Amino acid sequence: MQVTRFTVTHMMQVTKPPLVVAGLTKTYPGGVRAVRGISFEVAEGEIFGLLGPNGAGKTTTLGVLTTLVRPSGGRALVAGLDVMREPLAVRRAMGVVFQDSVLDNDFSGFQNMRLHARLWRVPEDRIAVLLDAVGLTGRASDGVRTYSGGMKRRLEIARALLGRPRILLLDEPTLGLDPIVRSELWEMIRTLQAEQGVTVLVSTHYLEEAQGVCDRVAIIDHGTIVALDTPARLIADLGQHVLDLGVGAHPEPVLAVLRQAPPGLGEPMRTGSAVSVPSSLSAPELTDLASRLDLTPAGATTIAIRPATLNDVFLHLTSAARARAEAAA
Amino acid sequence: MTAAAGFTALYRRRLSVSLSQPAALAGQVLTPVLWVLVVGPALARAFGGFTHQVNYTSYVSLGQVVFILPFSAMFAGLTTMFDRDWGIMRELLVAPVHRAVIPLASTAVVLTVAAGQFAIIVGLALARGAHFATTPARLLTALAAAALLSAGVYGLAEFLVYTIKKPQAFGTLIPAIGATPYVLCGAIYPIAVLPVGIRWLTWVLPWTHGVSLLRYGLMGDAAAGLHQIWPAGLSPASAALLSLAFLAAFAALTQTAAHRAFTRSTLK
Repeated sequence: MQVTRFTVTHMMQVTKPPLVVAGLTKTYPGGVRAVRGISFEVAEGEIFGLLGPNGAGKTTTLGVLTTLVRPSGGRALVAGLDVMREPLAVRRAMGVVFQDSVLDNDFSGFQNMRLHARLWRVPEDRIAVLLDAVGLTGRASDGVRTYSGGMKRRLEIARALLGRPRILLLDEPTLGLDPIVRSELWEMIRTLQAEQGVTVLVSTHYLEEAQGVCDRVAIIDHGTIVALDTPARLIADLGQHVLDLGVGAHPEPVLAVLRQAPPGLGEPMRTGSAVSVPSSLSAPELTDLASRLDLTPAGATTIAIRPATLNDVFLHLTSAARARAEAAA
Repeated sequence: MTAAAGFTALYRRRLSVSLSQPAALAGQVLTPVLWVLVVGPALARAFGGFTHQVNYTSYVSLGQVVFILPFSAMFAGLTTMFDRDWGIMRELLVAPVHRAVIPLASTAVVLTVAAGQFAIIVGLALARGAHFATTPARLLTALAAAALLSAGVYGLAEFLVYTIKKPQAFGTLIPAIGATPYVLCGAIYPIAVLPVGIRWLTWVLPWTHGVSLLRYGLMGDAAAGLHQIWPAGLSPASAALLSLAFLAAFAALTQTAAHRAFTRSTLK
């Protein structure tokens, strides 16, 4: 094989993680600290989830990676390229799907794809392949104004893949879509990721959806990463099951019972009129333990046991962080 | 990617947006037709008697250039605003294209549309009996004036789009900026008939310099009215150069302000 400068550069880039974020901070004018020193790396071919509630700092982080937001501190490397020093090369290396639709509504699906091909200077013959992959061949010549929300999002994903990006950034790709379309979209993202061999960074606040798609996730809250691991390990760390209790407006008696319970129950988390308790016990063991506690006399209106989810992990981590912050204050 | 390739892609896209819709195309073409074939003759009948030295049809048709071109340039700001708020701007911002090329391509499209409208106005005016006399240098002066006025007003529109942010507020400025200067700048009548205080205002309006240069370039010294702007001792050529410099400064100022507002608005 003839070794060219391109080959060497390409090999060097391939050996580096496609995405590196190190000590990233962003404070907007006015003093809003959106991102407070986050660090993570995304490995080649990985689907990495950036999870958290609205306002957690996910979109700002993606903004830095897409060169739309200037970081206040720290570094971000995309395909080994510094987002501040080489923004054009960074943008060439990635495809982006924004939170809300960013399409030329005056044009057809095909015309939107063609504009992208011209801007990224890639052959237009890939347009048909990608439109077929997202199931839009039959609607390619229709104006995107006539597309449903799910169709627009599929078109945007196809468009983002047109330039053969090394990294695909998806900001809340299923926001505003109905559950069936959301499920189909995740399936499509997974299939395309496997076919195209692209690394994916996806932000979402639908934690349970991310659980089934992401290889690893970082949970971000108030601009800080509070956990980073595979969904399975994060859930295992919390406990395999959760005891859900309906407690009404007066949870104190139930909480008092839980505090005196034998080992096997984690820290209770109160959300509205319910209390959730993570547990490392198996479902039969937890059922047995719950039946031995005086939960109903203490005021528990409902008792249920279910497998733990990323949602529980998130609630547990963020409520613990809030409790620490309140205690410090 | 070279800046030229990015520019071409952005230019083609913006031109398609401006002209691909039948209503938009009709609006861009029919406005000059209406003004030259209907409004111009009506104005000629109403005001044509004020001077015997110049052909009023020629005089007012060039006046209409400084209505239609700036008005179209202000309206083009709406496309930019739509792209930013509901359209494709963020896709363009994450493209591997130098971002400064985005407003440049938009300005180039505004100038393309302006060139088409200018040709329609002059062509129809000739058909309606206007007489133009020019030389290559004077024709270039007139074309430069039209281009600088359009680019300057579009720069102002883009600056306002990225500064004001609300479509409703920008909408109210379109007629205020696109049309009001037209009635003050000497497009319909010589500025000499205005009260002295207002005349001072007209001297700082780019529209005034634009229409005078158009007439200087296509009708000659007598119709230009440059002597109503600059000291009488200056030669027509010197006065024309000064007005051209004024327009160039206007275009440079608004384009620079637009670029800064664009950068500030798009890079948080």
